[in-house]
Amino acid sequence: MASTMNSTTATGIGGPSDKVAGGRRLHSANRLFRALSLGAAVLVLLTFVAMFGVLFEGAWPALHQFGFDFFFTEIWNPVKERFGILAPIGGTLITSFLAMLAAVPLGIGVAIFLTELCPRMLRRPIGIAIELLAGIPSIIYGIWGLFVFAPFFQANIQPWIIDVFADVPGLSMLFAGPPYGIGMFTASLILAIMILPLIASITRDVFETVPPMLKEAAYGLGCTTWEVIWNVVIPYTRTGIVGGAMLALGRALGETMAITFVIGNAHRLSTSLFAPGTTISAAIANEFSEAVGDLYISSLLAAGFFLFIITFVVLAAAQLMLRRLDKSTGGNRA
Amino acid sequence: MAQDMQFANPKVGMEPAVPQDKIKVEINKLNFYYGASQALKEVSLPLYDRKVTAFIGPSGCGKSTLLRVLNRIYELYPGQRAEGEVMLDGKNILVKPNDVNILRANVGMVFQKPTPFPMTIFENVAFGIRLYEKLGKREMQERVEQALTRASLWNEVKDKLNESGLSLSGGQQQRLCIARSIATKPEVILLDEPCSALDPISTAKIEELIDELATDYTIVIVTHNMQQAARVSQLTAFMYLGTLVEFGNTEEMFTAPKDQRTMDYITGRFG
Amino acid sequence: MTQASSLYTGRRLRNQAFKLLSIIAALIGIGWLVLILSTLLINGIAAIKPSLFFEITPPPGEMGGLANAIVGSLIMVVLAVIVGTPIGIMTGTYLAEYGRHTKLAYILRSLNDILLSAPSIVIGLFIYTALVMSTGHFSAYAGIVSLAVIVIPVVVRTTENMLLLVPNSLREAAAALGAPSAYVIRHVTWKSARAGIITGVLLAVARISGETAPLLFTSLNNSFWSLDLSEPMASLPVVIFQFAMSPYEAWHELAWGGALIITVAVLGVSILARLLGAERK
Repeated sequence: MASTMNSTTATGIGGPSDKVAGGRRLHSANRLFRALSLGAAVLVLLTFVAMFGVLFEGAWPALHQFGFDFFFTEIWNPVKERFGILAPIGGTLITSFLAMLAAVPLGIGVAIFLTELCPRMLRRPIGIAIELLAGIPSIIYGIWGLFVFAPFFQANIQPWIIDVFADVPGLSMLFAGPPYGIGMFTASLILAIMILPLIASITRDVFETVPPMLKEAAYGLGCTTWEVIWNVVIPYTRTGIVGGAMLALGRALGETMAITFVIGNAHRLSTSLFAPGTTISAAIANEFSEAVGDLYISSLLAAGFFLFIITFVVLAAAQLMLRRLDKSTGGNRA
Repeated sequence: MAQDMQFANPKVGMEPAVPQDKIKVEINKLNFYYGASQALKEVSLPLYDRKVTAFIGPSGCGKSTLLRVLNRIYELYPGQRAEGEVMLDGKNILVKPNDVNILRANVGMVFQKPTPFPMTIFENVAFGIRLYEKLGKREMQERVEQALTRASLWNEVKDKLNESGLSLSGGQQQRLCIARSIATKPEVILLDEPCSALDPISTAKIEELIDELATDYTIVIVTHNMQQAARVSQLTAFMYLGTLVEFGNTEEMFTAPKDQRTMDYITGRFG
Repeated sequence: MTQASSLYTGRRLRNQAFKLLSIIAALIGIGWLVLILSTLLINGIAAIKPSLFFEITPPPGEMGGLANAIVGSLIMVVLAVIVGTPIGIMTGTYLAEYGRHTKLAYILRSLNDILLSAPSIVIGLFIYTALVMSTGHFSAYAGIVSLAVIVIPVVVRTTENMLLLVPNSLREAAAALGAPSAYVIRHVTWKSARAGIITGVLLAVARISGETAPLLFTSLNNSFWSLDLSEPMASLPVVIFQFAMSPYEAWHELAWGGALIITVAVLGVSILARLLGAERK
């Protein structure tokens, strides 16, 4: 070591120096770092695999006991140990569907407002506000739904809706029953409010990938704002919008806290949207820590496993679309 | 016949261009591939010790590729590979057991655009030294000063060594990169169009610097500017479509090129 | 001529209608969110008093504070970030620097993005089955691990993105000095991307600060002071959940107070992250 030091410091600039000893030290550090980074990557991969495996293992007793009936029966009876998750599946799908129905058009509207109509001065502050709101914990939306919205809805709006639709065939079924305030409808609405900022901010980002020249060309032909958006912006960003919506759907399907507060936790499928119901995640949140009996716990785990699978599929599809958009705009930029 | 010409040995001839000089790097039948496409075909030429050799040629001729083989920087990217021999002081650097990092410490490189690291001016220069040497505080300061002086930057930055390297002007940044490169005491310095992003005054300064550095180092410069090649180099290699067309004394090549293609390029008929 | 102008009138009307609709959408969307935040502010501020920060969670019907829940949340969030950040950064580094085009990286990138939006309650179930069931009791450790599982994908995504923004020329310049890849990454690439990576960590903090579902059956809850990580631990979100769902007025007030604290914390951290991110550019 000493000799290396000497030889390197002795030669002035310009002369070759002995770099082998230092090189060896760096070399082993290099391999260690690479191994650590690969190790971390593999760990993340294993976490995912473990998640899948562990949940499946936990779900197996219930799946084995009830077979396919598990997904198609509405019975949820901890006392007799008979379980089926038709009601939570139904609740999950219905609340997510309704939430998307409300939030997607609104979210796209907000995005259009932000990219095309908003005064330039307000564009950034409102955009940032929306992004910040997308990060607010869902429990906040839940508590607001429970304490503020549900009582107001129950006292002022629900009775009126029930009255109005009482004589309309078909719709009377959807809006029937006593006004509880909480229930599927309220849950869907809170869910919609929660995913709205997410959809709005993704859609705005996607809109901003449209090359300005494309829009200018359309405006140059004398198109109105509406025509530019309908004929240029939306077709150009279609996959991105759908991808963003799918991402929001993935969130909505798995959302727990915004819903658990206001859905009423009743294991039955009702034709009325005003009736209490449940979703997979709400059922787990409400019952899991108090569940006794292996089959009860396993049934809840099976429900969670099922939720994992459907959100996986939806999120994977979302990614595929958003990535395709990345690629196509990347191509345009090049 | 024309086809043959391309693959035939370039007109290096048997006689060295500058006979009295020692060969530092000897490139032998070098082939280079980007995936399936071949970028260099059977390139052979010597690089002389303490001389400036310029690689010229139209875009895509392989001059930068050839430079990037000399410190094996191409290896950062998968799918790029070199075949053949590059002998540095008689040792083939392309053979695996050779430690690529030590090779790079001995063969410095300066890039087209200045690449100061996001740290202070001092740390930028010390960066490379720290890799292979453990110096005391004073020794390190001396080394940094030496390197900056050598790169004719010392007077401009001596009072702001602790400012970010990014705060310098483009020309200063490029000289900082040269200082950083020579601070590790390399033997060969590769310059990849070092002036293409600079204004004429900075360019003149760098050229002057190259001239001066040639007393200690073997220098290779890739340039698309023929006046620059003529000004700074003693030897010139003209490349075209991945082959070495002509190599020799710069003055001779610019006044009396042996190959028609060289003639066409130099007189501006293509490229 | 008249035909052309009537055509144009129609187009203009349609355009006006559309503009109106999108302004209404924006008003509804933004108005609703303003409504939520303002009620949160009104009810929350009413609940903010010194006792909130200095007393522990009370038994049903009595007055008290959230001190144990606040401290519990802080401990678990900080430890989860400490556990998750290095793994996240190293994985992001693998994706951007080493693996970039490998199959492993491709798979990992996809799975990571799914994990990023995966239902947090499923992560809670996973940790419950893996840690709580096997050890036989709820613990703060389990809560920390489930929060860390949420931190990792956030940090991986931002780290990879930020590293990819570092120009290759900088990597080449460092490598050309003889620096091995690890040295280049640690001293040059990370350094260039530092602000961005810190932003990612802050985003992860914001994300887990309000997470409730994964804590419900991992760290559970604790109505007493406890700093023992092998015991159940109180956390703000879980306490809010429990208190809000209860029939007691005093608990409701505490829930509002807790909700305001979380929101302010999350917004504060997100704004900080944004400022840092903006500074980079």
